[in-house]
Amino acid sequence: MAKTLMIVDDSATMRKIIMRTVRMSGLEFDTIEEAGNGVEALEKLNASPVDIVLCDINMPEMTGPEMVKKAREMSSCDNTKIVMVSTESAQETIDGVMADGANGFITKPFTPENFQEKLMPFMN
Amino acid sequence: MIEQICFNDVFTDSAKEIFETMIFMDLMQADDPNQQIEGDAVLGSITFKGDLEGCLAFCCGKDCAQTITMNMLGIDSVDEISDEDTCDAIGEVCNMIMGCVKRRLHDTYSNIELSIPLVVNGRQLKNTLGEGAQEVMEKVIIEDEYPTELSLLYREKSN
Repeated sequence: MAKTLMIVDDSATMRKIIMRTVRMSGLEFDTIEEAGNGVEALEKLNASPVDIVLCDINMPEMTGPEMVKKAREMSSCDNTKIVMVSTESAQETIDGVMADGANGFITKPFTPENFQEKLMPFMN
Repeated sequence: MIEQICFNDVFTDSAKEIFETMIFMDLMQADDPNQQIEGDAVLGSITFKGDLEGCLAFCCGKDCAQTITMNMLGIDSVDEISDEDTCDAIGEVCNMIMGCVKRRLHDTYSNIELSIPLVVNGRQLKNTLGEGAQEVMEKVIIEDEYPTELSLLYREKSN
């Protein structure tokens, strides 16, 4: 069954790059939603949950880690996998957001293979 | 005190990495250290604080910024992109280069927090950071065509 994806990043350019790279990875999604920050993402997730969220860390309004914490309090996101996509690469940052409920971490710059590797376990 | 030569390498290597892997354009150190950006320019900057505080800036001509944007978005015509797209793309370039710089400096400066990037348009744009700042300035050329300036202004955290 095809999965649904949401890309959360304050940069519209980066959302398009991620979308293109996901498509290049060969992974197929039924729908791909977009959100410009954590607040917008949570509103959309509350109304219509998705299978996988790709989420930036540094965003205005609400950061990625704040969004992860709030999403984990929402029953609608019980089955949603959240993978962070960020220029942040410090191990303590990765450990922190994983402890908050993220399911994976992809560091920019990224390749289609990075998405293939991190998202494939959530596709079945 | 940071070795200037080390910082220059970190800075330039980070920019090269981002241009090769995410923008698919060639970035080289300029042969002419006096090269200038003529006409309308775009300056993107991102500030950082923590063990090291300062500002990274990327400044190029408007035509270069539009080409970078088209490459990042996979678009063939300049008519399909807006000034807003260009600002967003250049902001993301700054964010990614600074992310790379941060990763490469992590063993020495483990605590560096980044801001949201800021982008302005104009002529003869320059990045500043007040008194006491060290500056690393690199003149580079993109795709053998576009003169571009990378600057990193920083201060070590005072104890």
